[in-house]
Amino acid sequence: MNGFLYGVALQWKLDMRSKSLLVTCYIVPLIFFLLMGGIFTSVMPEMRSTLIQSMIVMSVSMGAFIGLPPSLVETYGSDVKKVYKANGVPLYLGLVTMFLSAFVHLMISCAIILLLAPILFEAALPVQLPFFFLALAIYIIVTLSIGSILGLVVKNQAKLTMIAQLVFLPSIMLSGIMFPIDLLPDFLETIGRIFPASWGYRLMLDNGFCLENLWYLILVFCAAVIICAILLNKQKSK
Amino acid sequence: MKDAIQVRELKKSYGSHMVLKGFDFQIEKGEIFALLGVNGAGKTTTLECIEGLRKYDSGAITVNGKMGIQLQSSSLPAHIKPMEAVKLFAKWNKTKIDYAMLNGLGIKEIEKKQYIQLSTGQKRRLHLALALIGNPDVIFLDEPTAGLDVEGRLSLHEQIRKLKSHGKTIVLASHDMAEVETLCDRIAILNNGNIAFCGTASELTDKVGRKYFIHIKTQQGDNTFETDNVEDTLISLLGELKQKKIHVLDIKVDRGTLEQHFIEMARREA
Repeated sequence: MNGFLYGVALQWKLDMRSKSLLVTCYIVPLIFFLLMGGIFTSVMPEMRSTLIQSMIVMSVSMGAFIGLPPSLVETYGSDVKKVYKANGVPLYLGLVTMFLSAFVHLMISCAIILLLAPILFEAALPVQLPFFFLALAIYIIVTLSIGSILGLVVKNQAKLTMIAQLVFLPSIMLSGIMFPIDLLPDFLETIGRIFPASWGYRLMLDNGFCLENLWYLILVFCAAVIICAILLNKQKSK
Repeated sequence: MKDAIQVRELKKSYGSHMVLKGFDFQIEKGEIFALLGVNGAGKTTTLECIEGLRKYDSGAITVNGKMGIQLQSSSLPAHIKPMEAVKLFAKWNKTKIDYAMLNGLGIKEIEKKQYIQLSTGQKRRLHLALALIGNPDVIFLDEPTAGLDVEGRLSLHEQIRKLKSHGKTIVLASHDMAEVETLCDRIAILNNGNIAFCGTASELTDKVGRKYFIHIKTQQGDNTFETDNVEDTLISLLGELKQKKIHVLDIKVDRGTLEQHFIEMARREA
């Protein structure tokens, strides 16, 4: 196994040992799903058709904005990066391996929601499952790329907690997963459309996989990749 | 013999503060060389410039051979286990793991612990092992024994001597005069951005004199005496105390801190 693959496998193990990831990728999103799934489907039975997508947006947002960045700060805001650099390990390794590991954890978490929702709350399964999974993968990647920027820009955990909430909360409240987006005032609707959550939500809905819902996510991902590359390069040249 | 490291006119500033003011030195292959200096003298900056971890403003640095680096402040992911770190670094360096070296550093004993559970000494040993993974020719050790207990220090000294016996060049930064004197072939003292001295420990002693400090604790308080003849001064002091019927509670003799040597050197030069 080469260094990169070993790094990816190792990061997966480290994430399994880390309690914070367990909390942000599994425990909190799944408890939220169990509670809110029950409430939503009792109060508004029509939400059964969008429950899976709503709960997935919540899980992915939490894992990517609250779960991933602290792991990145542990490496890039500390002496770990210096040790990597001094011993011939490329700086991008931490980012790429954490990204991939978080992607797999979030896919698992979303798969659990997908499996449990129809059984527990009679939620409707997506009609076109391949498109749904493709949309889900795209949404996770885009959201993790924003989480990566947070982890590379913010240098201490206390600040990060605050800033991550500034991204996480509007993503949840203004994306249309809690209540229809057209009930919001215009300016809040506009703000909501800045966050990828509303685009990802629409992309995952039945018949939602189209360029109209995709272009913004691609744009955000490309911008995030460029920003991450610049930030890594800055760290390297320091 | 070809030098392992050559440094010429090295200059480095942080903003308007010039930390390294353009000095030269060279380190021969196979020697243990120490960079000494008080905190903030520029030891770590010098090392990091040589290691390629920090950009310098001007000058020239040549390192002949593969480098292994143990940093002053090092860290690893909290949940990584020592052997996982060793394997990761070995794979990236495309080298085989030297299990004899790892056993020598006691990595086997701590392999089941996570990094966060290791003591300071165990962490230091692990970082030394990581620095040695690629079988380097030149090894940089920045404050390698800081925070270690006596046993840890002695064990690390033994490892450093073993590395030298295998022909490795070792560069260490320290502010521990006694450690440097027992380990190093040559030392350079950094002071105010320049090299104030470069030579052997005995050459330094010849230059500044051999000063001892005798600390005596009695029922009447603590006193420190400065001397260059420790035996005679001790005999005389103890005789005097006995005569005055003052009970001695504790006696400590040390060689003085680096700062004291500096002060002495500066005073003589003035």
